[in-house]
Amino acid sequence: MISTQVALLKREIWEHRAIYVTPLVIALIISMMSITGHVAVSAFDQAVDIAILGASNLGEAQRASAITVLMVSISVLFILAMWVLTIFYTLDSLYAERKDKSILFWRSVPITDAETVVSKLVTAMVVIPLITFVVIAVTHIFVLTITSIWVSFQGANAGYLIWQAAPLLDNWIATLMFLLAIPLWLAPFVGWFLLVSAYTKRSPLLVAFLPIILLPMLERTLVGTRFFTDAIFVRSGKMPFFHGIDTMGLWSEDKEALHDAVRSGISFLSMVDLSGFLASPGLWLGLVVCGLFVTAATYVRRYRDES
Amino acid sequence: MTSLISASHVSKSFGRLRAVDDVSFEIEKGRITGLIGPNGAGKTTLLKAVLGLTDCEGSLSVLGLDPFRQRKELMQNICFIADVAVLPRWIRVSQLIDFVESIHPRFSRNKADELLAKTKVRRDARVRELSKGMVTQLHLSIITAIDAKLLVLDEPTIGLDIIFRKEFYSNILNDYFDQERTILITTHQVEEIENLLTDVMFINNGRLILNASMDQLPDRFVELMASGENADRARRLNPIFERDMFGKKIMTFEGIAREQLKGFGDVRTPAIADLFVAKVKGATT
Repeated sequence: MISTQVALLKREIWEHRAIYVTPLVIALIISMMSITGHVAVSAFDQAVDIAILGASNLGEAQRASAITVLMVSISVLFILAMWVLTIFYTLDSLYAERKDKSILFWRSVPITDAETVVSKLVTAMVVIPLITFVVIAVTHIFVLTITSIWVSFQGANAGYLIWQAAPLLDNWIATLMFLLAIPLWLAPFVGWFLLVSAYTKRSPLLVAFLPIILLPMLERTLVGTRFFTDAIFVRSGKMPFFHGIDTMGLWSEDKEALHDAVRSGISFLSMVDLSGFLASPGLWLGLVVCGLFVTAATYVRRYRDES
Repeated sequence: MTSLISASHVSKSFGRLRAVDDVSFEIEKGRITGLIGPNGAGKTTLLKAVLGLTDCEGSLSVLGLDPFRQRKELMQNICFIADVAVLPRWIRVSQLIDFVESIHPRFSRNKADELLAKTKVRRDARVRELSKGMVTQLHLSIITAIDAKLLVLDEPTIGLDIIFRKEFYSNILNDYFDQERTILITTHQVEEIENLLTDVMFINNGRLILNASMDQLPDRFVELMASGENADRARRLNPIFERDMFGKKIMTFEGIAREQLKGFGDVRTPAIADLFVAKVKGATT
């Protein structure tokens, strides 16, 4: 059972190399930019200028704040890429095997349709975030190392200024939790994309997004209510994951809220409101909707006759 | 219970079309059965029902299991090649072997390695880089390395050249088949499997029109080549089908003793392909 699932997850990574190629490409771009001095400088100079970092007598909280913002800014780029990756992966996962007719091979081995569909769901919800997380952590280390070299060139003590102040573990735990929480919150979309992928005969991207865009419009014009608008757009942007700051705030240019929070001694991890997230009815309602879509996808794969 | 497959009044409809229409048969262990029928006769649908890939009416039991509802258990003991194109094109040979090894309790890596060593299939190659013949060799090697009780082949050699086709069937006989294993096969190239088969089933318009062992055929069917008056007299014995060849009449008889016909001309047992044409065309005229 477990070994079958492991084999199926491996298969997903073999087939969809974008699962690790996408974060690696982002890592490469960020690393290149940090070598040329773009990433670290632009992140630091919101609060402090890197050139004077070594000479200044900033408090440790301020340095921790600057480094946290740098790390979160990097993570955010990966998270955006992860969204795009997950959309394309889920839409392809049950569609490609039908298009290339390999579905008959996959169904000729002793694996149930449910096990197969679950492996696609686990890939989207767990494997992709975990791989993204590992690449994020390595990129953090790399960028901080490059920054240390920059700082050392200024004659300052990078070990003291950066590594001692960098709340690595704190930041990573929060980032990992956030990475795993995002697909949980957006689970209805993951389930919907899997169903479209199992069902559609052509252009899964179009088939998946047309109703997402049209339904709220039709509802508003014809019925005058906003149920689908709220369920699709408003809910997506209001993930209750952090105390104090709006989750969408992480994506805006202005990270003052994060700065303020960290500077006042609150770590990134302590901003995570895990119990609030887990207690939110929106999360569980979304998971139920996801479960319905995934069950439907399983039935489509099982009952659809491809001949 | 020696019946490996037991079908009783199996039907499957697509809308108004009855692709499989009230089919009943038994297949016993250790047999090689050819399922032969024209395009659209319901062969593939029947095989899909046997493999649990599609639901059907009637009662169907394969290895004592309900194929559609117990597909996973069934697939531990069944292998099938539905068409040469079904191996995923992106997968590497080594990945395919790893995958099957980790999910199939009856797979022997050593046996697969042994079989693949006889071919030119490279371990690091992707399926898309292999020729069609090599993909079939790969698929057959993997399947032969699985200790399954039933092998189902649906047009396994389509698009292969004659050398690969001959090799395919000789590999099946030498490496796969033994008294414990059973094969169900469909193909258009009947001549190639004729000598392999122990049993034959003809299907047309979703109905089974013949189900016999190869040993029974000489007793049941006789082909007569006759001309002139002899042909006219033979015709009174109601041949199921008649055709012309080189100015002579070739008639196929069912249930007529060979001795009765010997006086009219040359008699022999019809080839499967000719018998098939006689059964299908004879039924419509």
